[in-house]
Amino acid sequence: MSAHDRIRPVPELDAALRGGRRFFLRQAGALGLLAGAGAPLALNLLAASHAAAQGATDYRAIVCVFLFGGSDSFNMVLPTDSASWAAYTATRNQAPDSIALRAPGTAPVPGAAAGSPARLGGVLPISPIDAQGRSFALHPVMAALVPLFNTQRRLAILPNIGPLILPTTKAQFSLSTHRKPARLFSHNDQQNTWQALGPEGTTRGWGGRIGDLLASGNTRAAFTTISAAGNAVFLAGQTVRQYQLGTNGAIRLGADTAGNVYGSAAVTTALERIVSRSRGGHVLESDLAAVSTRAIEAEALLRNSLPAAGVAPFGTPPASGPYNAASDPLLRYTNPVTGTVDTNNLAQQMQVVARMIDAGRRGLTGVRRQVFLVSMGGFDTHDLQNPNHANLMARLAHALAYFDGVLGGLGAQGSVTTFTASDFGRTFTSNGDGTDHGWGSHHFVMGGAVRGGNLYGRFPVLATKNANNNNFDGSADQLGNGSLLPVTSVDQLGATLARWMGVSESGVMDIFPNLANWNASARDLGFLTA
Amino acid sequence: MFLRLLDVPRRHILALIAALSLAACGGGGGGDSSPPPPPTAQPTRAEAGRFLAQASMGPTSAEIDRVVALGYGGWIDAQLALPATSHRVHWDARDAAIRAATPGSTTAAAGQEQIFESFWKQAVTGEDQLRQRMVWALSQIFVISMADDTVGNNTRAVAAWLDMLGDKGLGTYRELLESVSRHPMMGVYLSHLRNQKANPLTGRVPDENYAREVMQLFSIGLVELNEDGSPRLSNGNPIDTYGSDDISGIARVFTGWSWACPDWPDNNCFSQGSVAGVSDPNRTFKPMQGYAQYHSTEEKRFLGTTIAAQTLSDPEASLRVALDALANHPNVGPFIGRQLIQRLVTSNPSPAYVRDISRVWANNGRGTRGDLKAVVRAILLHPEARSPATDTSGKVREPVLRLAALLRAFDYRSDTGWWRVGNTDNPSTALGQSAMRSPSVFNFYRPGYVAPGTLSAARGLAAPELQLAHETSAAGLVNYLRDAVAVGVGANNTLAGVTRRDIQADFSAELGLATDPGALVDRVFARLLPHTPVPAELRSDVVAAVGSITLPTSGSTATALRNRVNTALLLTLVSAEFQVQR
Repeated sequence: MSAHDRIRPVPELDAALRGGRRFFLRQAGALGLLAGAGAPLALNLLAASHAAAQGATDYRAIVCVFLFGGSDSFNMVLPTDSASWAAYTATRNQAPDSIALRAPGTAPVPGAAAGSPARLGGVLPISPIDAQGRSFALHPVMAALVPLFNTQRRLAILPNIGPLILPTTKAQFSLSTHRKPARLFSHNDQQNTWQALGPEGTTRGWGGRIGDLLASGNTRAAFTTISAAGNAVFLAGQTVRQYQLGTNGAIRLGADTAGNVYGSAAVTTALERIVSRSRGGHVLESDLAAVSTRAIEAEALLRNSLPAAGVAPFGTPPASGPYNAASDPLLRYTNPVTGTVDTNNLAQQMQVVARMIDAGRRGLTGVRRQVFLVSMGGFDTHDLQNPNHANLMARLAHALAYFDGVLGGLGAQGSVTTFTASDFGRTFTSNGDGTDHGWGSHHFVMGGAVRGGNLYGRFPVLATKNANNNNFDGSADQLGNGSLLPVTSVDQLGATLARWMGVSESGVMDIFPNLANWNASARDLGFLTA
Repeated sequence: MFLRLLDVPRRHILALIAALSLAACGGGGGGDSSPPPPPTAQPTRAEAGRFLAQASMGPTSAEIDRVVALGYGGWIDAQLALPATSHRVHWDARDAAIRAATPGSTTAAAGQEQIFESFWKQAVTGEDQLRQRMVWALSQIFVISMADDTVGNNTRAVAAWLDMLGDKGLGTYRELLESVSRHPMMGVYLSHLRNQKANPLTGRVPDENYAREVMQLFSIGLVELNEDGSPRLSNGNPIDTYGSDDISGIARVFTGWSWACPDWPDNNCFSQGSVAGVSDPNRTFKPMQGYAQYHSTEEKRFLGTTIAAQTLSDPEASLRVALDALANHPNVGPFIGRQLIQRLVTSNPSPAYVRDISRVWANNGRGTRGDLKAVVRAILLHPEARSPATDTSGKVREPVLRLAALLRAFDYRSDTGWWRVGNTDNPSTALGQSAMRSPSVFNFYRPGYVAPGTLSAARGLAAPELQLAHETSAAGLVNYLRDAVAVGVGANNTLAGVTRRDIQADFSAELGLATDPGALVDRVFARLLPHTPVPAELRSDVVAAVGSITLPTSGSTATALRNRVNTALLLTLVSAEFQVQR
C-alpha cells in the first residue's frame, strides 16, 4: 500500500492550502519584504539556495535538542586520562555532596545514596577514532549512547563549543577591547545567543534563517520550521515562522471530530471566522488572530497526513483502547534515581517529530527541508546536581536512542541530523552540591550522515583552581571557576548544518556573518558527509 | 524646558503643567517627584470597565458600578483598605479535611491542587481585587515555581508565599525584597538555602544562583537605566550593571542562610532544619536565619559597595547592607516599575510613563522610596493608562486572566466551595499556564519578548504574553473555554447524586433572553467586553451564529436555548477583542 492510498482528498484541504499561501504572502507584505527596492539580501540569496534544494530529490531535516538551564557537560563527556581525571576529582569532590563521578570500571555501590556517583558506578568508556592522545567516557547512565558512538558511529561529540564573535584566547578574553558575545552567563540571553546569535530581543534564529533560504523548495512554507516545545526564536526567520506541534499532533481548534461546535457546523464556521480575524486594527489583536488562522489551516492539513503514533516504528500498539504515549514502553525510561520506569517527555516530542518527518518524506506535507526543535528543562543544576543531573542524562540518552531507532525503522537516519544545544556550560568548580553558570560546553551530533565515533574540535585541558583565587592558570581553556572558553563557535556548527541542508555558501555567510572571522578551512567542522 | 514641551503629546503637557504648578507652590517635596494629577472626572461605565481590566482579575457589573460611584482614586483607596484573606488558612483547612476523609493514610495531604483552589477562589470571589491583581503580577516578577519538585512538595509554604506577596507587595519594595530573599522557598528554588562559604583548602566556592538572579530579575536588571527606562549609553553602548566580580562578591552575602529552627544555630539546623527530630513546624515559610559558622567572613564587594571582612561573621549585617544597596540602586524604579506597568496596563509604556512611575518610586511625596501602594496607584491613574486606547496600547491578556475574566463576569460559583480548577499547565488541553508554576525563574514570558514575524514586531513592540501564543495553545485554549461554557470548569464532583464539574455559572438570565439573539448577545457583550469597544462586525457575526441555532417548533427548546447561550459566550471569548486589554 502506498502512502497516498491512505489519504482521501478532503475539500477543506485545498482551501486551507490556499489560505496558507495567502497568509505567507500577507505576512511577507506586512514586513515589507515584497517591496522591490531595498529588498533584503536574503531574498536574492533565496534564489540560489532554492535551486540547490530543488535539485535534490531527497528529504533532509535538522533537529535541535535544546537543554534549557545550562548543561553540565563536564559530567556528560569526561576525559579519563590520568592528568584530567586528577584535576576533575580534586575540583569536584567537595563537601557536603561530591559531584565527582567515579572512574571507569568502578562497580556501583547498591547501598549508596540514590543518584550519587557511588550508586551510579563508573563512567562509561568510549573510543574516539582520534582520541587526541587522551581517553574519554560518558556519564554512567548513558549506556544507550555508547554503541551509537563506538560501533554504529552515528554519534559524534563537539567538545567545548559556545557562542563566539571571533576566535578568542584567554589573554584576549581579559581585554575589554576584544569583542565577546553580549551578556555571557545570563540564561535568557545565552539561550537566545545559541539560537539566534544575539541576546534577548534578537528575533531571527539561525534555524529560521536556514528555513528562509530553503523554504522555496517546500511547497508549504508553513511547515518549514517546527517546534514540539513552545515558541523558540531558533525557528523564527525573516519570512519563515515556526509551526508549533503538540506531542500528540495538531490540535483541532473548536470543532469536535464531526466538525461541530455545540452540535452545529454553522457555529464552527462562525467561530473559525471570528477567531481568525481582527476588527479595528489593533496590532495585538491582529497578531492573536494570525496565530489562530495558522492553527486552523495547519491542523486541517495535518489531520490526515500524520502517521498514527501507536504503530511501529513510532510506538507500540496498545493492547486495548486508544493509544497513550505516556504508557507506551518504547517512550518510557528507567529513572536512575528511583529505579522506576517513567514517562519521558523528550521522547514524546521526538515521536511527533519523527511522525512529521515520515509525513514529509512521503510527500504528504509538501516539504523537502525542515528544521525542528525539541527541548527539556531542568539543567540549571546549582544544587542537588547528583540526582537531578543523572535523571536528565538518562532521559536525554533514552530519547536520542529512541529517535535513532525510529529513524532506523523509517530508513531515514541519513536524512536527519540531530544536535544538542544549551544556554551554556557550567563551572568546573563545585559549590558543594552543584555548579554555576559557565560558557563553553560539550555537545552531541547524531545521524546517519554524521561521521560518528569522533571528536570534532580540540578537547579542553582541565586544570585545578589556583590556591589564592578562583582562576585556573593551569589551563588555556578555563576561565574563572573553571568555566570553559569555547574553542568552537556556534556559528561553525550552524554553518556545517546549513551547508548539509543545501544552503549556498553565500547564504551560509549571510546567516553567520561572524564566520568571516575564521579561516575558510575552519568554517565547516567536517562532521557531516556531503 | 518649555521648548521641549512642543515634542510632548498633549496629555503629557497637561500632566507636566500640573506638575510645574505644584512645584511653583512648593508643595510635596519638589516638582520633580510629583506624580501626574489623578483624573478627576467621574468615569463612564466603559471607562470603568477598561480600568477594571487593568486593576482587577476581571470586570463585573457590580465592580463597574463601584468605580463609577467612587471614582478611580476612591475605588483604589477603598481597595487598599480591604483586609487580606490568607491562602495558608485555606490550605490548612483543606489539609485537615483531606486527612480526616482518609483516616489511616500516611500520604493523604493538601498539595498543589489546594494552591490552585485558593488562588482561584480569591481571584474570582475576593473583594480585594486590586490586591489579587498585584499578587498575580508580583508572582510573575518574583518567581518561585511548583514546577520545581522541592517547591512543589512544600505547598503550604507556597500558600504562605502568596500571603507574603499580598502583604509586602503593598508595602515597601525594601521589605518585599527582604521577604523574598529570606523566604525558604526562594532559598530552595534559587538554592541559597544551605549555601556555604568558600572552602579555600578544598576549592569549594559559594553558590552564585541567587546572587545573580536577585540582581538580574528582582532588582536592577542587566544594564544601567535612565529613569524613563531607556538604557544609559556609553559610546553608544549599554552599560552593564554588574560583572562576574560583583556576582562573586554578593554571592558571599548569600552564604550561611538556612531554616528557622528551635536549636538555631546548631549545624544540624543548618543542614536539615532539625536536631534530633525537633524542628519548627513553620520552618518552610518562616524567614531563613543566618548561621554565622557558614557565612563568609571575607570582604564582599559589589556594585560599588564594600562590606569589610568580618572578624566575627555577621550574616544579618551583610544582608542588610546588600539589600539596602540593591533597593537604593537607581535602576529599581524604572526596572521593576516598568514591569508592573506591563503586568497591569500596557506592554509598551512610553518613556514618560516609566519616568513618572520611577519618580513616584523614588519618593511617594512623603519621602518614602519604593512605596508600592503609591506606585500601583500612580500606574493606574497615569494619563497614559486612562487616556483613550490606541492601536498599540494595552496588553494581551494572559490565559489565567482570560479564565478569571470569564469566571468573574458570569459569577461562576464552586459547588464544593473549594474552587477545584486544578492544574491548567497543558497548552493542548487547558490554559498553558497555571499560577505558581512558571517553567523557570524567568517567568512564563520575558518582559522584552518580541514575537517573531508579527505585526507588533514590525512595529518594534514587545508583547510578553505572545510568548505563550502558538498554534497548539490557541486551539487548546479555545477548546478549554468551549467546555468551560458548556459544562463548567475543574474537577468533577458527585453531590446529591449529580456528577458535574465543580465550578458552574447560573445562566438563567441569559437563557431568558435566548429567544432574542440580539438581546442575548448584548447582555453577553456587556459582561465579557466592558473593557473594549465592540465592532459592529463582531456583533453581527455572533448574533447570526446564535440565530442559526434553530429552536424546535415542538418538544423542548431547552437544549437549543442553552446552545445559543453557549455560542454567544464562546464566540465572544475567542474574539481578539476579549483577549486584549487595550
